Formats: sequence, structure tokens, C-alpha cells
Amino acid sequence: MIRLSGRFRSSLIIGGQGIRARKLRTFLSMVSLFLGVMAVVVVQAGASIAERALLSESELREGKDGTVQMYVASHAKAVPVTLETLRGRSDAVATFGTQAIIGEPGVTPVNPGGASFDGPGGYSPYVTCDESGCHNVDAPTAGQPPGKAIELQLTALTGDVRKIRPYRLESGRWLDFSSAPSLSPGIVINREAAKGFARHRVPAEMRIDGAVANSTPRIIGVVDDGGFQPAAYVRADELLTWLPETALVSGRGQGVQVLMAPSATGLEQTLRARLLAAGMPAGQVNTNRVDAREHAKTQLAIMRWIFLGMASLVLLIGVAGILNVGLATVGERIEEFALRRAVGTPRSLLAGIVLAETLLTGLFTAAAAIGVGAAGLHLVSTLVGDREPFLQNVEFPWQAGVAGVIAGLVAGLLGGLIPALRAARIPIATVMRA
Amino acid sequence: MTPLIQLNGVTKTLKGQGAPRDILSGVDLTVHGGESVAILGRSGSGKSTLLSLIGLFDRPDGGQYLLGHRDITRLPERKAAALRSAEFGFVFQRFFLLKHLTAAQNVAMALVNGQGWLPRRKRRAKVMAALEQVGIAHLAKQRPPRMSGGEQQRVAIARALVREPRVLLADEPTGALDTETGRLVIGALHAATERGCGLILVTHDREHADRMGRVLQLDNGVLAPATERVGV
Ligand SMILES: Nc1ncnc2c1ncn2[C@@H]1O[C@H](COP(=O)(O)OP(=O)(O)OP(=O)(O)O)[C@@H](O)[C@H]1O
Ligand SMILES: [Mg+2]
Repeated sequence: MIRLSGRFRSSLIIGGQGIRARKLRTFLSMVSLFLGVMAVVVVQAGASIAERALLSESELREGKDGTVQMYVASHAKAVPVTLETLRGRSDAVATFGTQAIIGEPGVTPVNPGGASFDGPGGYSPYVTCDESGCHNVDAPTAGQPPGKAIELQLTALTGDVRKIRPYRLESGRWLDFSSAPSLSPGIVINREAAKGFARHRVPAEMRIDGAVANSTPRIIGVVDDGGFQPAAYVRADELLTWLPETALVSGRGQGVQVLMAPSATGLEQTLRARLLAAGMPAGQVNTNRVDAREHAKTQLAIMRWIFLGMASLVLLIGVAGILNVGLATVGERIEEFALRRAVGTPRSLLAGIVLAETLLTGLFTAAAAIGVGAAGLHLVSTLVGDREPFLQNVEFPWQAGVAGVIAGLVAGLLGGLIPALRAARIPIATVMRA
Repeated sequence: MTPLIQLNGVTKTLKGQGAPRDILSGVDLTVHGGESVAILGRSGSGKSTLLSLIGLFDRPDGGQYLLGHRDITRLPERKAAALRSAEFGFVFQRFFLLKHLTAAQNVAMALVNGQGWLPRRKRRAKVMAALEQVGIAHLAKQRPPRMSGGEQQRVAIARALVREPRVLLADEPTGALDTETGRLVIGALHAATERGCGLILVTHDREHADRMGRVLQLDNGVLAPATERVGV
């Protein structure tokens, strides 16, 4: 232990003296390595950011990999049969979508059609679909004076959908499905809706077409659901206390979607059989398994390896540079190394010192590249973040940091190994015959 | 009394570009603690080669080498490094100081060699004591390029002495110095023998040789007592 730490401390002192005596050289080595390490960092960071954006978006919008999505078109029996079949199950969730307006009655909302609050271009779901196809319908608020109201997509859930779509809680709490349903429905809104409520003061009154009465919703939390239009989530049983089931599948109701976790085996067949038995045409029950994610991952991985390959080439040039400098330095230090051996320094320690000097150079370079990369990302994020939402608030991916450190160490190792071996082989007698 | 160093019939053959040459063909040498020995010899007679065997830079091809009671004829390199550090001090014709380090750091080099560890304070105390011994403590912070040859060689001697070795090996330490400075340096080396250190001095200078306890001559690969000094 003492011997080891003595050797380690000695090597720190000798290595430090070596670097200090050759500051310019160390700096030039770093310069030659910098581009290569930087390239690795940038490629890895780009891939990580793209993958994260792609994957988390797909997870939030579609569901985790292997999730089975079943779309049940509007049909009178769709809701009761689905509710009945899913009762008591935690591995599947039915969602019922509809449009809702929160705010003053009898006005056109600030975002007609539930569009996003920043600029126009939101989609307007004034389309309804039934057995005969889909038609445009008039906005229900058309012709009304503008007022203080917000329109949003309201989704009723029969269970905790976050096991399948991992919405990130931003503040407050998520819906509690274990308690008794409340008469004033608790709703959880998404980030876009939260933006709307922050900008516009609207009365807490919620209108839904077909509801028996308006209700007073309580906003209990905010989640990031990956969507860009305002949306809200509510417990299905709470919604159904004042909204008839039929309203969910007629007018502006958007039908039923059932999300089944990969573990819910057999459920798909059972539900389909019951829906068909209830008189649903077979063509109106469609299922789809989420696997876009795997697909995207493979594609990204191929891209990443191609780019990393190119980055490694740049890195290799840096390694050649550091090797060149390292060999020249050892050539100059022949006498020093022979002398150090003469005073009892073991050759393994000398080799270790040469290697440690280049490894340190590699690490310094990695630190510089990571710093520049993180600063650059921050800059890009602030400059174009509002135009490209996936660049908003991105943090520097740790994978890129790890890749940079590994690239620096590998380059240091490759560039230092040969000089280190040479240093260890210098005969001591050099000092006597010089 | 056990001798410090004992060489029995040590041989060494060196292979350069040409045919192998027997440089040492049976060297016998015994040195006791506190004793000083001078080795004279023609250029190319193998004096440096002999010193490099004694100092464990290299190993003999034949014969026997005892350090105290210990047979170190065939010592693996790792143990040799430890012995070089603990038992031997070296002084060379060219001083071999590192230009980018101060005198004190150059002396400390023998302490910072991966063989044991001394905390900074103790290291400093030893370095200053060694510089004091050779009379140049005031130059501790000076770098070699700003020192005279004699001062540089005394820094090198301090480096050799700082671990308090049992054997001091000097290969033509005055070769690059004028006569007056040479005497000073030989004096500094000789002083070490008064503390029980053995000294082996290779030199061309008969005057320096005669200050040693014994004067030997290396000739035809064998060590023999030097003939009476001639001339001068
Ligand atoms: N690596 C080697 N291979 C072959 N021959 C060598 C090698 N090193 C030295 N020699 C030869 O060995 C002989 C002895 O060399 P050495 O350096 O020991 O002589 P020296 O007595 O110290 O001479 P000088 O007084 O000039 O320093 C020389 O003739 C030299 O040419
Ligand atoms: Mg010589």
C-alpha cells in the first residue's frame, strides 16, 4: 500500500514536472487531438438527442414498445362493452377522447378547435366520423363572439395510462384511480394547456357537447404528454357521472381507444369477440402494435456508427499527432530516463509516467471538447430552441461526455504506448558513455 | 569485518557491431566501508564498464558479485533498481542535471523515484542537508544553466549522497572541470568516506587518484595495484 502510493505520488510529481517543462508541446498535442475528440462528442451528442427526442415522443404518443392499440370506431355499444371488459384490469386502459371548452359560456374560445397557443396552424378537428364515413362539421361555437374560454382535447381514462404512456409529471399530481370518483372532476392538463391557462384568465366551468350539465373542474396537475395541442386528462368514471356514454361516441366524441400492455395476453381477442358479439362490424375494430421505436432505434444506430466511424478517422489523425510528439519527446528525454533509472526509478514507473502524461493530455482534451460541446449545445438551444421544440431545454447528454472521455483515453493510450515502451527500454549505460 | 563489496573473477563481454570483445576478464576487487579506491586505466580499458557492473546498471557474464553477504551476481532488474536507489550513489563526468529543475529538485530526484515515499518536509530537509554537505545550500533554487561546472557537479554529488548510500561510484567526475575545481569536487567525495561510505573513483588524474586510500589500474581486463607514479 505504502509502496504503491509512493510510486503513485512519485509518478505524479515526475509527470507534472514533465508536463510543466513542455507546456507548449502538451498544448500542441491537445490541439492535434481536439478535433477528433470533438467529432466523437458531437456525433454521440447528436445521436443521443435525436434518439431521446424520437423515442420519448413515440413513447408518450403511442405507448411503450409492444403496446397493442385497439381503435374502436364510434358505436353505441363500444363504450359499455369496453368498460365491462376492462373492469378491474390494470394492464389495459381505455381512453375516450372528446373536445371540451373551459371558460365563459357562449363564446368562441381563444384557440378555436383546440389549437396550440403559439401562432396559428393548430389542427381543427371539426370532423366527425360515423358508419357512413367522416364529414366536416361546423364548429359548435361558430358565430359566437370571442371570449374568455379555452378549448382542449379531453381524454377520459379508465385506469392509470402512465404505465403504458409514461407522461412526465411537471407539477401537482397525477389522477388517482384508487379513490372514489369525485363529483367535481379532477383534471390533469398538459404543458400546452398549462400555457393557455397561464396566459388567459378563464372561469372554471367546463362544457362538453352532450353533457347533462356544465361542471366545475379542478386542475390537479400538469404533465408532459409530448403533445403540442392543449389537452386534459380525466378519470372516465368521473366524466361519466355527468356525461352519458353515448356522448363519447357521437357528435364530437372521437370513439374509443384501448391500450394494452404487452403482458395483457388474450385481452385483445376477448374484447374483439365481445365487440363483434355486440353488433360491431369487424372492420371497425382495428389493432396496431407499437414497434416504431425499435425501428427508429435501428436506423439511428446505423447512422450513429457511420458517423462515429468518420469521427474515429479524425481521431486517428490526432493519435498520429500525439504519437509523433510523444516519440520526439522520448528521444529528447533519453538522458533523463537513463538518469532516473540510474537513481533507482523502476522502468515500469518510467513507462507509466510517459503513458500517464499522454493519458492526461487526452483527458484534458476530452474535458475541453466536452466543455465546448456543452456550450455549443446551449448556444444552439437558446438560438433556435423556439423554432425546433426538440432543441428546447436539452441537456448535454451524458453519453456524449462518456464517449469524449473514452475517445480521449483511447487516443492517449494509443499515442503513449509506443513512447512508453521506448522509454522503458533505454539502457542506463547511456549516462556513462554520453 | 565483512567487506562492503566483493568482486571475484568478474568477466564481461560486449558485443558491438563487430565481434564480441572481452572487456573484463576476471576482475577481483574488495572494498570496505569508509575505504576509497581509485581506478586508473587507458581510455577504452573498460573502467566505465566495470563501474556499470558494480552499480548494477548491467550484470556480469561470469564471476561473483557480493554486496555484504548477499550474492547479487544475477539480480533481476526490479531488485536491482531498488538496490541502486538504496545502496548506491553515482556521479558522472557530465553532471546530468535536468535543466528544467532547480538544484533542490535535481537532488530530490533521487528521493522521488518510486522507491518508498518521504513527505515533502522530510524530503526538503534531506535535500538541504545534502546540499549543505557539498557547500552549495545557497544555490538550492538555482537552475543548472545558471551554475558553474563545479557547482553543477556538486549538485550531482548531493544527489548521489541524499539517500546516504553505502557505496559512492564516480566516473571521471573531474573530467570536465579545471584543476582547482576538480580538487574541490574530489574533496567533497572524499568527505563522504569519513561517514563510512565506500568510494570508487575512476579518473585519469593521478593527483586525484593519490588522494584515495588505494590506487588500482585496469589493464587487459584485469585489476591490479597501480605502478608507482611516474614523472611529474
Ligand atoms: N555497448 C557496447 N558494445 C560493444 N562495445 C562497447 C560497448 N560499450 C563500450 N564498448 C567498448 O568497450 C570498451 C570499454 O569501454 P569503457 O567505456 O568501459 O571504457 P573506459 O575505460 O571507460 O574508457 P574512457 O576512459 O575513455 O571512458 C571500449 O573499447 C568501448 O568501445
Ligand atoms: Mg569511461
